[in-house]
Amino acid sequence: MRTHKVLTIAKRDYIATVRTKAFIFGLVVAPVLFGGGSIGMSFLTGKPDLKDRHVAIADHTGVVGEAVVSAAREKNGRELFDKKTHRQLLPRYTFEIDAAAAANTGAKANGELLALSDRVRRKELVAFLEIGKDVLHPPKPAEDSDEGTTKKTDPNASVSYYTNAGGIDEIRMWLNGPINDGIRMARLAELGIDVKRNKDLTASIPIEGLSLVERDVKTGEVHEARKRSELEGFLVPFGLAMILAMIVMVGSAPMLQNVTQDKSQRIVETLLGAASPFELMTGKVLGSVGVSVTSSLLYVIAGAVAVNVMGVAGLLPLSIIPWFYIYLLADVVMLCSFAAALGACCSTPQDAQNLAVVLLLPCILPMFMLVTVLRQPNGTIATVMSLIPPFTPILMLLRQAMPNGVPAWQPWVGLVCVLAFAIGTVWAASRIFRVAILMQGKPPQLAEMLRWAMKG
Amino acid sequence: MDAVQISHVTRTFGNVTAVDDLSLIVPQGSIYGFIGPNGSGKTTTMRMIVNIFYPDSGEIRLFGNSRPENSSDLIGYLPEERGLYQKMTVQALLEFYGELRSGRGVKAEVATWLERLDLANRASDKVETLSKGMSQKVQFIAAVIPEPKLLILDEPFSGLDPVSADAIRSALLDLRRHGVTVILSTHDMNLAETMCDYIFMIFRGRKVLDGTLASIQDQYGDDTIRVTVSGDVATVQNLAGVNQIRDLGQVQELRLQRGADPQEVLRALVAQARVTSFSLMKPSLHDIFIRIAEPPDLEAKHANA
Repeated sequence: MRTHKVLTIAKRDYIATVRTKAFIFGLVVAPVLFGGGSIGMSFLTGKPDLKDRHVAIADHTGVVGEAVVSAAREKNGRELFDKKTHRQLLPRYTFEIDAAAAANTGAKANGELLALSDRVRRKELVAFLEIGKDVLHPPKPAEDSDEGTTKKTDPNASVSYYTNAGGIDEIRMWLNGPINDGIRMARLAELGIDVKRNKDLTASIPIEGLSLVERDVKTGEVHEARKRSELEGFLVPFGLAMILAMIVMVGSAPMLQNVTQDKSQRIVETLLGAASPFELMTGKVLGSVGVSVTSSLLYVIAGAVAVNVMGVAGLLPLSIIPWFYIYLLADVVMLCSFAAALGACCSTPQDAQNLAVVLLLPCILPMFMLVTVLRQPNGTIATVMSLIPPFTPILMLLRQAMPNGVPAWQPWVGLVCVLAFAIGTVWAASRIFRVAILMQGKPPQLAEMLRWAMKG
Repeated sequence: MDAVQISHVTRTFGNVTAVDDLSLIVPQGSIYGFIGPNGSGKTTTMRMIVNIFYPDSGEIRLFGNSRPENSSDLIGYLPEERGLYQKMTVQALLEFYGELRSGRGVKAEVATWLERLDLANRASDKVETLSKGMSQKVQFIAAVIPEPKLLILDEPFSGLDPVSADAIRSALLDLRRHGVTVILSTHDMNLAETMCDYIFMIFRGRKVLDGTLASIQDQYGDDTIRVTVSGDVATVQNLAGVNQIRDLGQVQELRLQRGADPQEVLRALVAQARVTSFSLMKPSLHDIFIRIAEPPDLEAKHANA
């Protein structure tokens, strides 16, 4: 391979790409979209819907509903307004005890529930709650019930929440505490314990998430555990993986069009008169790597400035940045070679468009696994998937960026596999590229491409 | 040393044999013309010399080297299907191609060639603004910068106006004087006759002619008569000993049957028409091309006409 030819092709492709309006537009628009989205979100979060949330309760116990009403009153008094500015911060929760619904059972009760449902539909209520009569003393489950059969919930021993609201229901989440506190207080009262004088009985204590205690290798000093936020455990790894995927997609997708365009405009034969197919493909891949590194530098610098401004710079694990770049380079090389081979098989821009989804699969598939990996970063599925080369860059980076990290050997094994796979991809792609680049007509079938990759 | 040495080369595409057991030697410093009907294997042969296609069997040596990839820096190539980066300026594009081949800056050579082919005032224009003829001249310059040892041109004159064609012809002859070997394919038989030192004809993948024009014509002998007669073409028909008649307008070209006596033909002509000119000659390259490439049933039709 003659280096000067590779570099000349890479330089031309790099300059041609970074000068295009699409690249400059993408560089500006992507951060604006992301940044604008965040600003919009924080704007909307800062201006919540302050309309009252009215909920009816059909309480068959006669005591738990009252406890909820009293807890809501206490919450409204405590959290509704900013103490200094007196500005309303949260919506008011109001509950009404529906005595008629609570008194009826059987068919009549269904009629009452329908009437309450209609009130929700008319938007008079956001939801209604039915507290079963046996919730204070649920009957013991029958002993002869077969294992494996689905146990039916006893409506008398449970609490039902009826609503037509979608998304995250904050009232339902909040109700969990007051209802169970109400039940406990009622049970304690039955035992003759004065709950009002022994408030500790129902006081809940928060659990604080901390990192591990560490010893400084140089000084020997033991550092206290740091307080871990949700941001550190979820948003930083997720954000890094997303940025990596975005840069790789932005860097590799144009390659498909680029090669197809060179082919359809008959430029490629002149180039092949001066450089071998392998040199031509390597030059093009190198040009794309340059484009990706350029855009990543801008994103990383902008990101670093943003986290500094937001005051959360300490949450970004700096040791991950070299890995970020290693994975970025390997992923771009893999995808660009793949794109070059696919582009060589296309005769028209339409063919290239049809194959674009195939090209982006190595970036899209890991996205479906993000939740699984975030839940159990060191589980078997996460470990195995992050060691499969096309998925390693995104999934291993995600796992490495999480507070627990990964066993030290895994990134290195992953890296060796990724590099071996990248070299294999370049090799196979160059063979397909060489055969397909001067062909015209219908794109070849997958089996044919595999045969070219094997036989050359 | 020969510039190109092709030995028993075969190349197939699926079930089609594009080049079949071809052997050819192109001497250094010569202009070698490749002729043949469309789809006969000219472009495939050129692509194999440039190393864009690999032969299925056989060997191609360039300047004595058996590995053509080592010699590709010495080759300038103008493909039949022209394509240039439309968004680049003429200057930047030519510098790119020159640098790609040589690995060094070629600014001065680009300026010289642009001047020579009357494109200096378009150097900073984008390629997309050029006419077809200008684009073709730019592509020609891309093939000759920096000066190659072997220049391979696939139909270099197609689509050029006479002035541009003359400029390129003159440039090619000049390059030959500097020792550059030129291989060019063409459908213009007159150009092949007047410009090429050697002519190679490929038909259905096989070599059917190879040599100097004189040696090729010698294979056919003096079997062609050009006559001018008063009256139309009907007056020269039904002559004994004549195989085929081509009406060229003012002149009629008669092909003699093997062993026929030209004197007998002249006597028969004089008997039925007023002859103003009569010359016995070797067949033209055009005629030879048609004799080889024309379908046999069409040839028979001519003879019976």
